Amino acid sequence: MLVAGIETATQVCSVALWDGEKRALLAESSLVRGNTHSERLMPLLDNLLLQAGVAKREVGAVAVSIGPGSFTGLRIGLAAAKTMAYAWEIPLTGVSTLAALALNVPAPGVILCPLLDAQKGNAYHACYMWEAGCLKTLQAPEVVAVADLWERFSEPGLPVLLLGEAAKYPIPEPVRQRVALPPEPVRLPRAALVAALGMEQLQENKADDVFGLSPAYIRRSEAEELWEKRQRGL
Amino acid sequence: MSDCIILGVESSCDDTSAAVVKNGRQVLSNIIASQIPIHQKYGGVVPEIASRSHVEALLPVIDEAIKQAGVQKNDLSAVAVTYGPGLVGALLVGLSGAKSLAWSLDLPLIGVNHLEGHVYGNFLSHPDLEPPFLALVVSGGHTSLLAVPDYETFQTIGQTRDDAAGEAFDKVARVMGLPYPGGPEIDRLSKAGDKTAIAFPRALADAPYDFSFSGLKSAVINYLHHDRQTGHVTPPADVAASFQAAVVDVLVEKTLRAAADHGFETVVMAGGVSANSALREALAAETKRRGLRFLYPSPLYCTDNAAMIACRGHYLFQQGKTSDWRLNAVPGLALGKL
Ligand SMILES: [Zn+2]
Repeated sequence: MLVAGIETATQVCSVALWDGEKRALLAESSLVRGNTHSERLMPLLDNLLLQAGVAKREVGAVAVSIGPGSFTGLRIGLAAAKTMAYAWEIPLTGVSTLAALALNVPAPGVILCPLLDAQKGNAYHACYMWEAGCLKTLQAPEVVAVADLWERFSEPGLPVLLLGEAAKYPIPEPVRQRVALPPEPVRLPRAALVAALGMEQLQENKADDVFGLSPAYIRRSEAEELWEKRQRGL
Repeated sequence: MSDCIILGVESSCDDTSAAVVKNGRQVLSNIIASQIPIHQKYGGVVPEIASRSHVEALLPVIDEAIKQAGVQKNDLSAVAVTYGPGLVGALLVGLSGAKSLAWSLDLPLIGVNHLEGHVYGNFLSHPDLEPPFLALVVSGGHTSLLAVPDYETFQTIGQTRDDAAGEAFDKVARVMGLPYPGGPEIDRLSKAGDKTAIAFPRALADAPYDFSFSGLKSAVINYLHHDRQTGHVTPPADVAASFQAAVVDVLVEKTLRAAADHGFETVVMAGGVSANSALREALAAETKRRGLRFLYPSPLYCTDNAAMIACRGHYLFQQGKTSDWRLNAVPGLALGKL
C-alpha cells in the first residue's frame, strides 16, 4: 500500500510516498523555506505524484505529522491530510512529530532527544531510545524550559543526540560533554519517516477518525491560560 | 448544459461554514458551525482559539453540507473558498482544506474575496436581483460603499478611514458591559431608548463617501466615563439608541449621496451589521422616499456563511477565474478602488 506522508509541523514542508509492503521510499520532496506551507504544500504534493508517476487513486492511506510543533503549520497539514483522506475514502493516521524525528537516527545506545521551538526559551521535546529495533519512549512529549532541559543532561550518563530545531539554543559548556548535535539534514523532520511510522500504526490498526483527528498542541492557547489565571485571581 | 454545483468553504473569522450551491443561486445546503459560545467568555474572537475550532469543525461541516445537499463528491463542479480578508490563521484552515479537497477530487479551485461574497449573498435572497447596483458593506471589519456594475467588477466608492461600523458597535457594547457579540445587544437595547437623548457627533469626513467612526466611539466612551465619575446615570438604553442613531445617520446619508451621484437605482446592503434593525428601517424609508429599490439578505446570508462564497465562486468560475494550488490567505485583501 502506498502511504502519502505530510510533515508541516516546523519550517520544513515535506511530502512523501512510502511503499508500505516493501518498506521503501518511492518519492520525497522537502522545502526549508520558512512559513510558506500554505503556498507550497499542494504544489509540492501535486508535483511529487506527477514526478513519481503515481495516480491519486493509487494512494492507499495518509499519514500526517500531528505535533507538537508550529500551531499554524500543524493546522495546514492536518486540514489538508484530513480532507484528502475524506475525498479518497482512505485511512488516515496521525503521527507524533517527535517520534517521527527519532526515526532519523535508528541507533541503539543513545538517548534521542527531538526538540522543537515552543518560543520564549521553551521547547517541545521527548526522549526516545531504540531497543531491539523498537522505539522506546523515555519521556513523553512535553513543553519544557530549555534551561531546565540542559540541567537534566548535566549529570554524566548515556550520550544524548539532539534532533529537530535544537540548534536554535546554544548548548552550555558542561552539557556538551554528553549532548551532541548531528548535522542539520539528519535533524530535520521528514515526510518519509512520518509515512513509515504511519504505516506501522496502520498495521497495528491505529487508524484515526478522519473527522476527529486534531493537532497535538500540548499547549493551550495563551488566551485560555490568561483567562484561567484571572479566574484564580492571580 | 449540465448543472454547475459549487462547494463553498468559509472560515475567515469565528464561523466554520460549508455550502453547496447549484447554478449560482440555488442553495442546496448551507452549514454553519458558530463559535460564538466559545469566544463569549473572552469578550471577543480569540484568533488562536478560532483557528483551533476551525480545524475541528471543517471536515464535519463539509461532509454535512455535501450530505444535506443530496449530492455526491463527484457531482461537484468546483470548490470555492474565502482567501481573505480575515484572520490569517482562521483563513488558512478553510483554505488548506478546500485546496486539498479540490486537488484530491481533480476539481477547479476558486479563491473568493469574503466581502464580494457578502455582496453576492443578496443574490441568494433575491433571485431577480441583477447588477448594476450600489452595495453598502457593513461588518465588524469593513464599512464600504461599492459600485457593482456587472458580475465581474467591484469598485470602491467610499470606505471607513478608521474603525469599521461593526467595530464601533462592539467596542461601545464592551464599555457598556453588554455581552459579546455586542452589535445585536445594542440594537435590542436601543429599542427601549430615546435616540435624541444625547447628541453624539456625526463625523462626516471631508470626502463625500468616506466614513469615520473612531471619533464617535471615543465620544460615547468619554460620555460613559464622565457619567461614572459624576455618579450620574444615563439610562443605558438612551446611550445605546443615541450612539446607534449617529452611526445609522452617517451610513444612510453617505449611501444615498453615492446612489444619487452615481445614478444607481438599486441599493443593496451586506455584512453582519446589515442585520441591524434601525439601519434597515432608516435605509428602507429613505430609499423609498427617493424611489430606489433597497435590498438586504435574509438573516442566514447576513452573517458569515459559505453559500455566499459559493455564489460568488460560481460567477468567477463562469468567467474562468480559477486559482492555482499556490493560493494563499490574504488577511488584508482589499477591493478595487475607483
Ligand atoms: Zn463577514
